[in-house]
Amino acid sequence: MHIVVTGMGVVSPIGSSIKQFWDAAISGKSGISSIQCFDTSKHRSKIAGQVNDFDPKTFLSTKQIEQTDRFTQFALHATHQAMKDAGNLEFYEPHRLGVSLGSGMGGYSTFESSAERKLQKRSIPPFTVPRTMANSAAAWIAAEYGLKGINLTYSTACSSAGNAIGMGLDLLRTGKADAVIAGGAEACVLPLTISGFEALFALSTGFNDNPHRASRPFSIGRDGFVMGEGAGILILEKEDTAQRRGAQIYARLAGYGCTCDAAHIVAPDVEGQVAAMEAAIQDAGITFDTIDYINAHATSTPLGDVVETQAIKRVLGKHATHVSISATKSLIGHTIGASAAIGSIAAIKSLQTGMIHPTINLDKADPECDLDYTPIKACKKTPHTALCNAFGFGGNNVSLVFTTP
Amino acid sequence: MDTENIEQKVIEFIASKIEDVDASVINAASEFEELGLDSMDRVQLLFDAEEEFGVTFDDEEVKDFHCVKDIIDYINNHQPTE
Repeated sequence: MHIVVTGMGVVSPIGSSIKQFWDAAISGKSGISSIQCFDTSKHRSKIAGQVNDFDPKTFLSTKQIEQTDRFTQFALHATHQAMKDAGNLEFYEPHRLGVSLGSGMGGYSTFESSAERKLQKRSIPPFTVPRTMANSAAAWIAAEYGLKGINLTYSTACSSAGNAIGMGLDLLRTGKADAVIAGGAEACVLPLTISGFEALFALSTGFNDNPHRASRPFSIGRDGFVMGEGAGILILEKEDTAQRRGAQIYARLAGYGCTCDAAHIVAPDVEGQVAAMEAAIQDAGITFDTIDYINAHATSTPLGDVVETQAIKRVLGKHATHVSISATKSLIGHTIGASAAIGSIAAIKSLQTGMIHPTINLDKADPECDLDYTPIKACKKTPHTALCNAFGFGGNNVSLVFTTP
Repeated sequence: MDTENIEQKVIEFIASKIEDVDASVINAASEFEELGLDSMDRVQLLFDAEEEFGVTFDDEEVKDFHCVKDIIDYINNHQPTE
């Protein structure tokens, strides 16, 4: 049984439609800018990949806006695009339509603003809990489209959307649904989350005056990740029924691997990443030497990019030097629980268009990062098999395999 | 603010919070239910009214609120002293 992608939607710092996003990605546009939504004078990291042109009033009522956190609004916008793209999901019985969504922080914006009010002994908005809860976005997607089947939310930090897409694959394979809306959403460009990652010394702080240059995976001089926000949604279906209803097919979702380091809560681990990639390759029923593109997790932290490079080399051996790799986070920053969904969309667009988006700011690579990361400029290739990596705090490692249909 | 003024302001405020309902169809006797407000809409409305009118509703008292007049009376009886 093949599972295919028949619709896509995205909200990102470089565009809130697939076309906008992909055009900007191919041209190497940076979506990183100075943080506008709060005062950063007391922060060491003052930049982020923000979705600046986002206006929920264009697709939600006043009441809906009042009842939803920004991450849910992102998820809904990306879902609207993906559902329109896929078309005709009424073909399926509502109880057979599922949602499998990831978010690392859920409605953290609501949590933070309500907590602030509470500390000031002011009353808090009545929708504080339903806006904050991690499954809020998945529930709203279901309600908007009458999706009455299984409805799950995965919160595995930076790999959340990877798990959500992978579990969407499993739900379809095991017959628990006929179509799954899968992906991730995150909106935590916020004082508390920025402070939290600052306290871990995980964020870039050396490029506040030159934001476009800050997110530089694999590059010399990288000094941490740049916070991002956004959402990515895929419509997943079984290939035979998708064909029967006349859907366009962008790619096959062929494999899913997931492992846990069972070691450090935040440090990456080569073994765990290798095991996840190998599991995904095995699950897809392919051999490692057929992989021709990797959308890397690549957050631009000094340690993470080296560890991922080592893991890729361990899995692919000599073939690693023949594979094109790129880091979507160089363009948009780290969208945490949405990142694997947006990375998957980039991988699928590469399979579909034959173009690999660049890793920007990679003027000079770290000597320990010695693979082909598609530096600076997009390249034309004809990839048939793509791997998408997502590694999260908690030692969670996810790999997904997409192939041409 | 005089009493009549508050009544008008509360009505206009409620109209601004409900889609497709004009202030002209709301009066002090209008029940929340007839304005299409469910229980969660009511708590949201009262929260927004606290912000707008600078009052803090008592949780026990608002349980019995069922019409626009309840809000108006509460605000009138809890006006900040000049």
